[in-house]
Amino acid sequence: MAENTDIAAGGRPSAVTASGTVWRDRKDKPVYEVVLWPNQSLTRPGLSWFLGISAAFLILPAATIIGTAVFWGLIPFLVLSFIGVWFAIRRNGRNLSLSETLWIWRDEVRVERREPSGKRLRWQAEPMRVRLRIHKDAKIEDYLTLSGGGRIIELGAFLAPEERIALADEIEAALTRAIRA
Amino acid sequence: MADAAAHAYDHDHKVGFFTRWFCSTNHKDIGVLYLITASVMGLIAVLFSGYMRLELMEAGVQYMTNDDGSPNGHLWNIMITGHGILMMFFVIIPAMFGGFGNYFMPLQIGAPDMAFPRMNNLSYWLYVSGCTMALLSVVVPGGNEQGGSGVGWVLYAPLSTSEGGIATDFAIFALHLSGASTILGSINMITTFLNMRAPGMKLMKVPLFPWSIFATAWMSLLSLPVLAGAITMLLTDRNFGTAFFQPEGGGDPLLYQHIFWFFGHPEVYMLIVPAFGVVSHVVSTFSRKPVFGYAAMVAAMLIISALGFVVWAHHMYTVGMSVNSQAYFMLATLTIAVPTGVKVFSWIATMWGGSIEFRTPMLYAFGFIFLFTFGGVTGIVLSQAGVDRAYHDTYYVVAHFHYVMSLGAVFGIFAGLYYWIGKISGRQYDEKLGKIQFWTMFIGANITFFPQHFIGRQGMPRRYLDYPEAFEFYHFISSLGAFISIASFFLFLYIMIQTVRSGQRVTEENYWDDQYPALEWSLPNPPPAHTFETLPTPAEWDKQQPAHH
Repeated sequence: MAENTDIAAGGRPSAVTASGTVWRDRKDKPVYEVVLWPNQSLTRPGLSWFLGISAAFLILPAATIIGTAVFWGLIPFLVLSFIGVWFAIRRNGRNLSLSETLWIWRDEVRVERREPSGKRLRWQAEPMRVRLRIHKDAKIEDYLTLSGGGRIIELGAFLAPEERIALADEIEAALTRAIRA
Repeated sequence: MADAAAHAYDHDHKVGFFTRWFCSTNHKDIGVLYLITASVMGLIAVLFSGYMRLELMEAGVQYMTNDDGSPNGHLWNIMITGHGILMMFFVIIPAMFGGFGNYFMPLQIGAPDMAFPRMNNLSYWLYVSGCTMALLSVVVPGGNEQGGSGVGWVLYAPLSTSEGGIATDFAIFALHLSGASTILGSINMITTFLNMRAPGMKLMKVPLFPWSIFATAWMSLLSLPVLAGAITMLLTDRNFGTAFFQPEGGGDPLLYQHIFWFFGHPEVYMLIVPAFGVVSHVVSTFSRKPVFGYAAMVAAMLIISALGFVVWAHHMYTVGMSVNSQAYFMLATLTIAVPTGVKVFSWIATMWGGSIEFRTPMLYAFGFIFLFTFGGVTGIVLSQAGVDRAYHDTYYVVAHFHYVMSLGAVFGIFAGLYYWIGKISGRQYDEKLGKIQFWTMFIGANITFFPQHFIGRQGMPRRYLDYPEAFEFYHFISSLGAFISIASFFLFLYIMIQTVRSGQRVTEENYWDDQYPALEWSLPNPPPAHTFETLPTPAEWDKQQPAHH
C-alpha cells in the first residue's frame, strides 16, 4: 500500500495544484502515515519490454521494403500505431495514478487526495472528533469513511474489501495511540 | 478527496434503450452488439456462399447470368469478393475479438471495464460504418460497367488499381474503417490486459482466453497498419495518379502482395488464436480438469503469433522468388507446426483421464481440435514450395483454409456462444437442438470441404465460375454439404433467438460446474452492468490459478 507510486506505467503523477484546506507545514513525525493508490498491473520494465518488442515487429515490414516509395507510404501508419499504443498505456496509467495519503498526529488528522489531473483535495480534523465507519450496506463492499471537520469523506474506495478492513483496524489503533499520547 | 456520497449507496444502472445500445460505453453491452452485428454480417456472407455453391452445383452457368443468358463473371467475382471481405474482416474477428473479447476479457482479469470505454464505443461504430461500406461495395457502380467490386478480398494490384467504378474504393474504405476499428480496439485490449489485471494476477496467472485476446490484439496492432498503408496507396493509385503498384508508372504490383501478406498471414492467426482461448476453457470445463501445460499453452500462442510475421511469402511461392527465399519461408512455415502441436497435444492431455461430458460447447471444441488439426496438416503440405507449385490457387487451398477458418475459427465461435450464452443472456439453450445443430454443421461442413481436396488435386482452379464436367461430381457433393451447413446455420440463429426470448433461466453462477472457474463464473447470469468496481482478490480466482496445477 505505502510504497513508491512511481513504479506504475503511468509514471510520476502530474504536477500538483492544491485546493481546499490550507495547511501549515509540519515537520514533526506523525503517529501514523499511509499512502494508498489503486492497483496497476503493468510495471515500468513491463512497459519497456512491450514497447521494445512492438517496435521491433513494426520495423520488420518497413525494413524489408526500404529504398522503395512504398516504404514512405507505410511509415506514417506504423509510427501512428506505435505512438497510439504508447500514448494509450501512459494515459491509462495516469488515469489510475490517484493517491490518498493519511497522516495522524496527536492533535490533527490530515488526508490528501491527489487526483489524476494533479489536483490536490485536502481534509483535516481533530483526532478526538474523527469517526471511522465501515458501511456494510453500501454499493462498495466494506466501504470506509472518515467523518470529522464537518464532512464525511471516503478512504481507499479503490482498495479490496479486506484491505479496507485492515486499513480501518490500523487507523483505529493509530487514532487511539494519538489520543492517548 | 471524494466526499462519501459519491460511492456510498447503490444506484441502479437504468438507462433507456437508445442510450444503452447506441451510446454504450459498457464493455458487456458493446460485446453483445459486436456479436449481433457479426451474426447479421455472417448471415449475409453465408448467403453469398450459398449462391456460389448453388451455381457450382452443376457444370455450366445456370444462375449467374446476364439478361441474355450469357455467364456473368463479374457477378461471380462480386460474390467471391463480398464473401471474403465480410468473413475475414466483419464476421470472425468482430465476433471473437470484439464480441467475446470485449465481454469476457475484462471479466476474466477482474477489470471493471475496458481501459477506454468511449474509445470502445468508437471502435464499434467504426466497425458498423465499415460494414455499411462493405455492403455498399457490393452494389455501387463497379468494374465491367456493372455494380459491385470484383477484385477479390486480397485486392491484388493491378486489378484493384484498374477496376472501374467506385465499388473498389468503397471496399478499400470498408477495410480502412474496419482496420481503424480493430486497431483502436486492440490498443484498448492491450492497455486493459497489461495494466488493469486484478491485484496479484501476474501474467502467468491470467486465464488462457485473455491471453489469446492479448496475442490477437498485439498481432492486430502490428499488422493492420501495414494493411492500412498498403490500401491507402492503392487508393491513391486509383484516384490520384500515383504509381506505387502500377507497373506502367514504375510501381511494383508484387510489392503489394508482399506487404498485403505481411498483414494477411497474421490476420489468419488473428482469426484462430481467440478460438484457441475459448476452446481451452471449454475443454477444461467439460473434462473437469485444469488445462494441461498452461505455461506451454501461453508460450505456444505467443510463438505462433510471432512466427506469423515471418512466413508471409508462403502465400506467393509462384511469383518468382529466389530458391533461397522459398527455402526460408518453407522452413519458417514448417516451424509453426511445433507450437501448434504443443497446443493440440495439450488439449488432448487435458481431456486424457478427465470426466468428459459432451455438451454442445464440448462437441464444438472437440470438433475444432479434430478439424483444425486436419486443416493444419494440409497447411504443412502447402508449405512445401515444390508441392505448392501444383496446388497454388486450386481448390486444395480453398479446402485447406476453410478447414482452418470455417471449421476452425467458426467452430470456436459456436463453442463460445453455447458455452457463454447462459452467462450473457441469463437463459440456457436447448441442449437437444444444440447437439442437432452441431452434428448437422459438422457433417455439412465436412461434406462441403473434404471433396474439395480431391478436385483441387485434380487441377480445379479456385475463383472460377464454371468448370469442366469432370469436376462435377465432387462439386455437386460439396454444394449439398454447403446447403446442409447453411440450414444448420439457420438452426443456430433460431436456437440463439429462442434462447434469448424464452430459454430456461439459469440462476446458478457457475452453471457448468467448472472445477477451475475463471472470474466470470463468480458473477450472476447475466452479470450486472457494473462488475468488479471493487477489485477481486486472489482468493476469488485462486481455484483457476493455472500455475498451481
